[in-house]
Amino acid sequence: MKKTNRIFTVLIFIFLYIPMAVLVLASFNTGKDITDFEGFTFQRYVELFQDEHLLKLLGNSLLISILASAIATVFGTVAAVGIHGLKPKMRKTVMTLTNIPMTNPDIVTGVSLSLLFVFVGTKMLGQRDSLTFWTLLIAHITFNLPYVILNVMPKLNQMDVSLTDAAMDLGCTPVPAFFRVTLHEILPGIVTGAIMAFTMSLDDFVISYFVSGLDFVTLPVEIYSYTKKPIQPRVYAMFTLLFALIFVLMLTMNLLQLRSDKNKTERRGKTITKGQRYFRRLAALVCLLALLAGTGYLAFGTRQEIITLNIYNWGQYIADGSDGSMEIVKAFEEKYPHIKVNYSTYDSNEIMYSKLSNGGITVDLIIPSDYMIARMIQEDMLLPLDFDNIPNYQYIDESFKNTAYDPENKYSVPYTWGTVGILYNTKYVDEADVTGWELLWNEKYAGKILMFGNSRDAFGIAQYLLGYDVNTTDRAELDACAEKLKEQKPVLQQYVMDEIFATMENEEAWIAPYYAGDCLVMMENNENLAFYLPEEQGFNLFIDAMCIPSCAQEKEAAELFINFLCDPEISAANMDWVGYATPISEAKQYLDPETVSDPVAYPGDETLVNGTNFTYLPEDISRYMESLFMEVRND
Amino acid sequence: MKKNNSALLSTPYILWMVAFTLIPLGVVVYYALTDPATGEFTWGNLRDLNQYWGVLGQSIGYSLVSALICLLLGYPVAYYIAHRSPTAQKMLYMLVMLPMCMSFLLRTLAWVGLLQDTGIINDFLAFIGVGRIQLIRTPGAVVLGMVYNYLPYMILPLYATIVKIDHRLVEAAEDLGCSGVQVFGRVILPLSVPGILSGITMVFVPAVSTFYISQKLGGTDTVLIGDVIERQFKQGNNPNLGAALSLVLMILVFICTGIMNRFGSDEEGGVIA
Repeated sequence: MKKTNRIFTVLIFIFLYIPMAVLVLASFNTGKDITDFEGFTFQRYVELFQDEHLLKLLGNSLLISILASAIATVFGTVAAVGIHGLKPKMRKTVMTLTNIPMTNPDIVTGVSLSLLFVFVGTKMLGQRDSLTFWTLLIAHITFNLPYVILNVMPKLNQMDVSLTDAAMDLGCTPVPAFFRVTLHEILPGIVTGAIMAFTMSLDDFVISYFVSGLDFVTLPVEIYSYTKKPIQPRVYAMFTLLFALIFVLMLTMNLLQLRSDKNKTERRGKTITKGQRYFRRLAALVCLLALLAGTGYLAFGTRQEIITLNIYNWGQYIADGSDGSMEIVKAFEEKYPHIKVNYSTYDSNEIMYSKLSNGGITVDLIIPSDYMIARMIQEDMLLPLDFDNIPNYQYIDESFKNTAYDPENKYSVPYTWGTVGILYNTKYVDEADVTGWELLWNEKYAGKILMFGNSRDAFGIAQYLLGYDVNTTDRAELDACAEKLKEQKPVLQQYVMDEIFATMENEEAWIAPYYAGDCLVMMENNENLAFYLPEEQGFNLFIDAMCIPSCAQEKEAAELFINFLCDPEISAANMDWVGYATPISEAKQYLDPETVSDPVAYPGDETLVNGTNFTYLPEDISRYMESLFMEVRND
Repeated sequence: MKKNNSALLSTPYILWMVAFTLIPLGVVVYYALTDPATGEFTWGNLRDLNQYWGVLGQSIGYSLVSALICLLLGYPVAYYIAHRSPTAQKMLYMLVMLPMCMSFLLRTLAWVGLLQDTGIINDFLAFIGVGRIQLIRTPGAVVLGMVYNYLPYMILPLYATIVKIDHRLVEAAEDLGCSGVQVFGRVILPLSVPGILSGITMVFVPAVSTFYISQKLGGTDTVLIGDVIERQFKQGNNPNLGAALSLVLMILVFICTGIMNRFGSDEEGGVIA
């Protein structure tokens, strides 16, 4: 019995530690994929310490968790002493209040706080920027407080009241009595509470995910968005280091505690001299200050610039310096040293729209698609551009001006254009089956098909398949499309957006509809992939354009950035990495001639006539489509 | 007189908690009862909840199954730890805590790497000639993810309860002729009920509201209530329906903890081990 129990316990520990072992192993892997161990290297650790972005996020996380846990510890301890002095009935009520954040699911806490901040900040105070560092800090303090109180309260209850009474009888006033007697007795509770609060803060994802804006993001929130793309192995290196750090911390804490338990009896009676005590306090204070300064430097060290330009763009949609490309953002910052770019990403028009219309954030530049631009113009969510600041607008081809979504060229400057087709793996998919959009419904490939995770693109495919107009406002047609999409669900592996990069490249899935430019990038990484455009049934022809949303605060800097991207040479360098087509003919001379003649990237006119643009849908139809899509996914 | 003075110290805290826990919940109720487009009062969001009962039921089902599996797996472990020497107890306790401190996103991703069709386990199965089997995107994978992530939340309170059981009671039962099984069934198990209840609550609450686990390990039909809420806020642009759904989730969790508290002891700080 005892033996089986021991074996069972060992097995459970193995179960708990297997995924961690996988991550640690992955940090030493020369290959990029977590599943194939190709060779041993320390390179990922070197990369980690060169990655300013990642280090800054780590600094953000440490800053918020140290500050939040420190404030919560002091505030919570004081409160616990107060609660201890309350009348029993009142005390019970307050403890119930304390338990609310503990028992409430994290998602509810996150949602309720973000709604509160947006409601008070945006609706009542009329601020644009209501989700900031400070609101995130408030949220963290709020969920940290109960940990401190619930750890300190039991110690206060255990404490012998006669101790403080004795101190006061001996002439102590209440405040020194607290510091000399009470604090000493409840210190273990305070320390445990502080450590718990710190680790909870550091690892919190759900609450931060709902409460943070775009300008101050913590590591877990960023990791959540990373996981959609093939994750960079240096993240595993960071995990391994953090793991080692926390392991050593906990181990020393345990050992120290054990030693002090052992020595307690021997040491009693010995007194520490005043000098020693002050030295210890000083040492602790210095350590704390050093830690704060360090994280503060990590988080804020690079922030002395005058202007911060907040860019909110699709993921994988600007050359980032990888694979020998030009790092566009950096090049821009070098040209305009007074501007610092804060770059964040979304992976569908709908996510971007939600984030902006929910309010609470500042964004200076976005790159939505045609139909979304039309919708945002209609809803007064875009600012007219000052074309005096964008002289490079002259390079934009005439065919991309006076478009249906922005007929007067007031609000947008085209960034890229492209088609939506089907990406499939020739190793597994029979060419004979590649006949049209119905491939995405083919039961032969059940479990290996991906589908768009946003309503407009998903409905578009159903509309092409059923022969409906993609800009219809007929609810019955939309209902029929929803039925068609429900029919597809059993053969689908998942609804995705940018996750597609990882899953198609490692052949976890074989068939997926996506944007041609991204398909080209994936085809480069896996030669079994091919692109197909269902010309007869029709396909979406889209333009993504740069716009300035009405919540922008640095309009002129944003216009400078737009102008920078319209420079033919920059545009070519950018498109070379992004894979999409440029609306600037001038730029083509700088591109690889093979790319320019590739029909996937630059389809000929005879193909393009079969494409259709998505245009503006009235508000109620957009909402109706979104709710139908939710229904499909929740079915 | 001293008591009244120190009681004042709790006032800022009470104000803080009212401002940042009670009022936000009021705002959730406000959003749940207003129309997304016009901002006027409506019952519409609550009516729309009708299509989500299935999802809610599914979430409760998955979380209950996970909580029970956690109990079955966690009890022997907690029991084992509680009967070690004090030093060993401290070390083992730390080893159970440690995974909780590491990014749960990355740990869940590691499971994706293990379970996917081209993943480590399937590569191994293919290598030894068994052939690949569907592991990921199944209900089992979601339950596995929940059990894996929340098992420590079960072990820790169970351990805290078992370790406090007075050993003399066990000896007394043995002296009175109880067999090993009887001692366990009649003495140890009834005395660990508070730990069991607190463990179940601590697993159930995060499991029922998760969205990351089901997004990464589930398929198109393992939609949980957390997914729906996340999507309403982040993609569907309908915070009002999202608020209504959060409200339902909150009420559900309060009912559950209420039931658990009724059976368990309502000691202060009972939630924390």
